[in-house]
Amino acid sequence: MSTATRLYLSNDTSSRAAGAGVLADAWSEHPEVQLIRVSSRGAFFLEPMVERESPAGRVAWFNVTAQDLPRILSGTDGTPVRSIPFLVQQTRFTFANFGETEPLALDEYQARGGLSGLETALRIGPEAIIEELRVSQLRGRGGAAFPVWNKWKVAQQARADRKYVVANADEGDAGTYCDRMILEGDPFRLLEGMLICARAIGAGQGYVYCRQEYPAAAKTLRAAIQKADEAELLELDGEPFPIEVVEGAGSYVCGEETALLESLEGKRGVVRARPPYPAQSGLYGRPTIVSNVLTFATIPNILSRGGAWHAALGTEQSRGTMALQLGGRVKHPGLVEVPFGLSLHQILEQFGGGMAPGSRFKAVQVGGPLGSLFPASQMDIPICYDAFAKAGAVLGHGGIVVYDHETDMVDLARHFMAFTADESCGKCTPCRIGSVRGREILERIQAGSGTIEDLALLHDLGDTMKIASLCALGGRASYPVLTAIEHFPAEFRAKLRV
Amino acid sequence: MTPQLSEILAQVVERPPNILKALLALQERLGHVPTEAVSDIAHALGVPAAQVAGVLSYYPDLRLTGSGRHLIRVCMGESCYANGCGRLLRELQDRLRVDVGETAAGGKFTLDTMSCAGNCAVSPTVTIDRDLYGRLLPSQLDTLLERYK
Ligand SMILES: Cc1cc2nc3c(=O)[nH]c(=O)nc-3n(C[C@H](O)[C@H](O)[C@H](O)COP(=O)(O)O)c2cc1C
Ligand code: SF4
Ligand code: FES
Repeated sequence: MSTATRLYLSNDTSSRAAGAGVLADAWSEHPEVQLIRVSSRGAFFLEPMVERESPAGRVAWFNVTAQDLPRILSGTDGTPVRSIPFLVQQTRFTFANFGETEPLALDEYQARGGLSGLETALRIGPEAIIEELRVSQLRGRGGAAFPVWNKWKVAQQARADRKYVVANADEGDAGTYCDRMILEGDPFRLLEGMLICARAIGAGQGYVYCRQEYPAAAKTLRAAIQKADEAELLELDGEPFPIEVVEGAGSYVCGEETALLESLEGKRGVVRARPPYPAQSGLYGRPTIVSNVLTFATIPNILSRGGAWHAALGTEQSRGTMALQLGGRVKHPGLVEVPFGLSLHQILEQFGGGMAPGSRFKAVQVGGPLGSLFPASQMDIPICYDAFAKAGAVLGHGGIVVYDHETDMVDLARHFMAFTADESCGKCTPCRIGSVRGREILERIQAGSGTIEDLALLHDLGDTMKIASLCALGGRASYPVLTAIEHFPAEFRAKLRV
Repeated sequence: MTPQLSEILAQVVERPPNILKALLALQERLGHVPTEAVSDIAHALGVPAAQVAGVLSYYPDLRLTGSGRHLIRVCMGESCYANGCGRLLRELQDRLRVDVGETAAGGKFTLDTMSCAGNCAVSPTVTIDRDLYGRLLPSQLDTLLERYK
């Protein structure tokens, strides 16, 4: 054992998909190798990536195959992790542990500052916790960007026999994966955030609603909950605070907080009219905080470092850092944590490394299926809530997907509308009927039998859905479609019947 | 009610009754939720049958019929879209001679789609049962499918 070299290899789902699983199989019995399965740094374009210790910190090998082992064991050609531009240019707070620690090692989590936010929270009490959050100006990272302290205050002041804390791990926006990385890679950070919330509002039970597509995340989280329980962490004021993982069943709208609560109760995941808001009347009619996984995971640092520390990062209306997730035809897809305020162009060039080989830029989608498409001429927009709101767009959950020259914009628009038609919960007519009509129109245009009136009809339909829908699915579903038409009108017109 | 069903129901019922959890647990054991079982499930949970049927029809992942021995799902999310999931899906449809949602002759594979596996940085993504594959090219499909018996 003493002669074996410790090699660090990520056990994240995407790392395994990139080849880490094959390496682990090949090396697990190797006498000269002691494999440590850590979380991923999020530089997925370099994965599978293997690291080992050196006097100057970790050294890494990129896109490794099993044949690279001799090179790694002899220590030739490694790159110091501290000199990987994609990583060193980031500002990692929420993702500081990624690539460093074993996800289920509670002692490592603690050794790197974990649980000190909870300690502070237990010491200062509910009012002061909420005051720190107010000062921090943290806004929810799930999409709606609502001030966190405000919601917590409402739940704190509500009188009820029971209150709940629910982590939204439905991560439904295609192109986003930072919640999955947290669940698989640093699960104690989420649990710590939930415990701080429970302490602030006086909750007695927690749930994590995890999308069904994330089996490894649910498994890791359940193991983390068990470890936290064994360490007697799931307790507040001498009362137990159990946390249960509940898996969804493939419905996008169940990520919307009220539909999520319906689904947690075992019912059809249909959106509830608000008010009352969940913070007033949520799960089983009790005050409930529903927050996104990334939001909860941001909170431990705010408590341990102070709200003012957080407020000093980012821009006027968008404080702190954001976890951006690059995907599509970008050269360097991966996770980028930076303070708000960098331009979309900077993100795509500095971190994304430009386009994948053989690809030319066409458009970039920010904010998932309810976001907008941006053409090359709009790359200067700063990544922050205010600038996006002004442009009629949303940052959503931070997904950034790049499309190349081969993308057929009419088909992409059809793809979006078909998604909405499939996922509409059916509660309100503009979304239920509108999305089906929208899909039919786009199918017609794609088939070459659409007319100029059809394009006008799509605009009208979009306007009606924007105004009259109960939730943002109907309210924003037309944005990717209408921005596609706005920026690539020739492609649509070329397909119309003359 | 078959003895098997009543035994399963006894295990999945909890208070307060949670219809979705009960249906998912049933599906976990049987591979699908038989429609004939709706009234038995409703009875065991103490809720109206219409409510159970409503939940059953609402969730995409609840299956009314059994699937093949292996379930293939192609991610149709935007990152996979940008990276050519359309070609993968067409290729699979041709090879297996099925449409989305159908089971191939012989009962080996059922083909389906999904909306995002969170593997966007290593896309396009296909899952087969519990295994997940990324950066997949149409030319790799043959070898991949051969792994499943
Ligand atoms: C159609 C729809 C889908 C949503 N999906 C998610 C999701 O997958 N994850 C998430 O955290 N929030 C999602 N949201 C936002 C939630 O309703 C809610 O605002 C959020 O969970 C609150 O947490 P936050 O304050 O931390 O952002 C969705 C909203 C809508 C309208
Ligand atoms: S907008 Fe669509 S998804 Fe939202 S409540 Fe209405 S029908 Fe349901
Ligand atoms: S879009 Fe396919 S894995 Fe996310």
